[in-house]
Amino acid sequence: MKVLNRWFFLFVLLLTIVLAGCGSKDKSDDTSKGDKESESSKEVSLTIGSWRTEDVAKYEKVIALFNKEHPDIKVTFSPTKNTEYNTVLNTALQAGEGPDIIHLRPYAAGLKLAESGFIEKINDLNGLNVFSEEALQASRDAEGNQYGVPINLSSTQFFYNKKIFKEQGLDVPNTWDEFIQLNDKLLAKGITPIAMGTKESWLLSLLHGIVGPGVYERNDFYKSVLAGEKDFTDAKFKESIQVMKDLKKYFPKNSEGLGMDDIRTEFALEKAAMFPLGSWEIPVVSEMNPDLDFGFFPMPSKAGNKTVTTWVDGSFAMNANSKNKEAAKVFLEFLTTKEFGELFVKEFSMISAMPGISSDHALLSDLSKAVESNATPYMWVTNFTGGDPTTKTVLETELQGMYLGDVKVDDVAKKVQENAKTWFKPFQ
Amino acid sequence: MKQGTIWTKPFYYIVVFVVATISLYPILLMILSSFKTSAEIFKNPLGLPTSISLDTYRTLLSKVPFTTYFMNSVIVSVVSVALIIIVCSLAAFYIARFKFSWTNAIFFIFLLGMMIPIKLGIVPLFILMRDLGLINSLWSLIFMNVATGIPLTMLILTGFFRTMPVELEEAARMDGAGNIRILWHVLLPIMRPALGTVIIINFISAWNDFFFPLIFITEKAKMTIPIGMMSLFGEHSADWGSLFAGLTLASLPMILLFFIASKQFMEGLTAGAVK
Amino acid sequence: MTNATAPSKKKKRSWSKWTIHLFPIPALIIYGMFVLYPIIAALSYSFFEFNGMNRGNFVGLQNFVTLFTKEPYGSMFWNAFKHNGVYFIIQMVVMNGLAFFLAFIIYKRIRGSEFFKAAFFLPRVLSVIVVGFLWKLILNPNYGTVNVLLEKLGLESLQRAWLGDPDTALIVIILVNCWFGIGFGVLIFLAGFQGISSELIEAARLDGAKGFKMLSRIYLPLMIPSIMIMGVLTFIQSFEAFELIYAMQGSMGEPYYSTDTLAVFFYRLAFGSSTASGSTSIGLGSALATCLFCFILICTSVFLRMMNKKDVEM
Repeated sequence: MKVLNRWFFLFVLLLTIVLAGCGSKDKSDDTSKGDKESESSKEVSLTIGSWRTEDVAKYEKVIALFNKEHPDIKVTFSPTKNTEYNTVLNTALQAGEGPDIIHLRPYAAGLKLAESGFIEKINDLNGLNVFSEEALQASRDAEGNQYGVPINLSSTQFFYNKKIFKEQGLDVPNTWDEFIQLNDKLLAKGITPIAMGTKESWLLSLLHGIVGPGVYERNDFYKSVLAGEKDFTDAKFKESIQVMKDLKKYFPKNSEGLGMDDIRTEFALEKAAMFPLGSWEIPVVSEMNPDLDFGFFPMPSKAGNKTVTTWVDGSFAMNANSKNKEAAKVFLEFLTTKEFGELFVKEFSMISAMPGISSDHALLSDLSKAVESNATPYMWVTNFTGGDPTTKTVLETELQGMYLGDVKVDDVAKKVQENAKTWFKPFQ
Repeated sequence: MKQGTIWTKPFYYIVVFVVATISLYPILLMILSSFKTSAEIFKNPLGLPTSISLDTYRTLLSKVPFTTYFMNSVIVSVVSVALIIIVCSLAAFYIARFKFSWTNAIFFIFLLGMMIPIKLGIVPLFILMRDLGLINSLWSLIFMNVATGIPLTMLILTGFFRTMPVELEEAARMDGAGNIRILWHVLLPIMRPALGTVIIINFISAWNDFFFPLIFITEKAKMTIPIGMMSLFGEHSADWGSLFAGLTLASLPMILLFFIASKQFMEGLTAGAVK
Repeated sequence: MTNATAPSKKKKRSWSKWTIHLFPIPALIIYGMFVLYPIIAALSYSFFEFNGMNRGNFVGLQNFVTLFTKEPYGSMFWNAFKHNGVYFIIQMVVMNGLAFFLAFIIYKRIRGSEFFKAAFFLPRVLSVIVVGFLWKLILNPNYGTVNVLLEKLGLESLQRAWLGDPDTALIVIILVNCWFGIGFGVLIFLAGFQGISSELIEAARLDGAKGFKMLSRIYLPLMIPSIMIMGVLTFIQSFEAFELIYAMQGSMGEPYYSTDTLAVFFYRLAFGSSTASGSTSIGLGSALATCLFCFILICTSVFLRMMNKKDVEM
């Protein structure tokens, strides 16, 4: 019996040792790392948090370029899946931890982190002046404090399948009416005109961002809204919602059940002729079907104005609780250099936020040109991610309700207006 | 009765056969699709692969440190389950066999954990793990698996201890055995079935957990299979062949383990997890 | 029930009497540290206001008032609550009902029962992420097995966008969950059937009971303990339903909140929606979790109390 009790205590002892041992072992690791850093400030390591899991290999090249000039700073790119990024980042930040460099969501979503005091101001960062005001705006708060270095612009527009257009004798539309005729022709031939689905609501605000300017003539409506002269009860806005509804007949069969992956597949496998989505889809579609020959066209309006909808999609910012702020600053400054901009355009197949960087990718360089001349801001992202739930969310879910037949066109506009009124200053 | 049996038996077979087909079909689809190329999946989503190609697996294994993920998952799951069994059998024995005024209260407290989403406490947990120096340590996952596995394990084990005949124990006590010896040499051996149940249930949830590794692990070298595979979803969202190969790789270890251990486990549940 | 303390009182030396109190300590420490403490800490958030992600002042019950009175939270809450209720009812009827029947069939000793038990249980070993992904594919409106099968059977009129149609999305998700969990129910019920003493059955048979009457009059009452256990577990699981919905329909409970549940709503409040532009309301999220916790706690306590009474009677 004594033997047994000894076993018991041995067990408890063992458990305690194991538990304590593991804890302290890791801790000692931490402190030894810390000591090393303070002893010789030469070896510094930075981590980058991001939602771009698909870009791991590309960021390794960025880091390699960075290390040519700064071999003493070790950088690790450690992304989290898009849909879980906010959760992971918010948790770490609330605990005073998190990556040194943070991939910041654009506009209000990212600025919320800054409001909570998690992001370091970088007003005096060298090199910020290469960017345009609009690009910097994406990570600047109302007081004019800058929080992020803008990286890439995203644009949304219609992509189209060149082969199908050629076979059907179709041209890129120059006016809204031509656009509709084009759709009707395709439909009559039994080809799905537009690859779009309504299962994931974020696709709907995105589609509205593309189609809307076709109704309300480029920036006019946007500017009046910002000035508080017009709001979402305006007839033009209602018309843009009605137009969205009318487009449904050009969507694939069972569009209410299709999500992002499904519509990309429809377009990439040439089952649909057009694909209204963002510039970031170019490499993905090409990977899925390398033989696909596709181009883009800007949204034409009734008066024949053409628009590409753009915004800054992400900036890099510095964690206010970072232990290596100096090194982080060096890295952020690197992101403003031309070398980085060129590498970025080449490797990422995206539009750089830095002006004047050209690309070898034909589609992309055309798109960059269109962005420079025909852009309108994607206002749902740039101006209407405030409110709780956000105005953008309200628009998305109400549009989804409309496509499902549960919500009337006027009620979509009404709900959006009601929400915007609760927080959007020009409406108050 | 006799007329009845002619019709009821075939009917029974039809029912179990249909349900079994529905149960197995998606798993079969996953495994079959993993041998196809992306193009084949879209052209012929439901048919058999035209040829068995292991290419997707090869490219996948060259891109993802699967063995690291696998080893981490094994360590986390095995240590978690072992710890759960040890701490819960001790506690359940105490609660089921000793009637102090507080034993029911302790039991109740243990059950509370089933009734609330633990995600709620993620920020305090993160701070706790950091203070313990367990961020990026497999121990953070092990402790979470043990802690979240305790409620259901306690429910099953306590229920089981209560059904054990007291006579066995009393006979052992007469022989002068202590509590540990009674637990270890008398009760646990006859509880093998219940332990089998508890082991499999906890193993499944430890193996498949992705929320805690998502939050606590950022180093690639410490990631477990579900989290490693989740990043695959982002990296290869357009390459469906790889995606299915990844899903199959992530699920196969559990499926195999289940087939090896299923007999023991089934007996475990059927032998009286309930009463 | 038992009184095992009596013999130990007589025989043990005093020091080994207290060692027994060490038995629950390891479990209590781990559970207390990693479950109780964080939950209690987080529940207390429901009484504070939050500015962004920073905790502000103590505001008493303000968050609860907001949750129930301010739109759209109020209607979202009841909408989600209703879906949890539907979740519970369908799971009870379809999953547990079918599981009961399947267990009965296996209990009647059919051939290959080992295989069938394993087959029913196999889905349970998969990760929910895998389950969600697979079923999204099977239910795909244009390529998925379900619609293709309907077409081959000449039932095109029944084809639907199963997960995109608010009339079917919730029910389909619940059925997938039934697919996932049915094996566990079968095993629990089978254990119950096998625990019924054969004398009782023999006696009933001699009384002339058979077929359906046998099942409803004899088996059903005797199975009440296992039905209750499955009932409680299904109840808890239904009201915490989250992972499958999140994997298949995202954190918005799409389409148009038709698959929203309390736990999904909570996740959206506490962590923001999974798309880029979510806003967080940690205080409201904690208030919601507190309500959910209290509701489950009260209902299960009542349930368990009923069960204990039954135990005593039997």
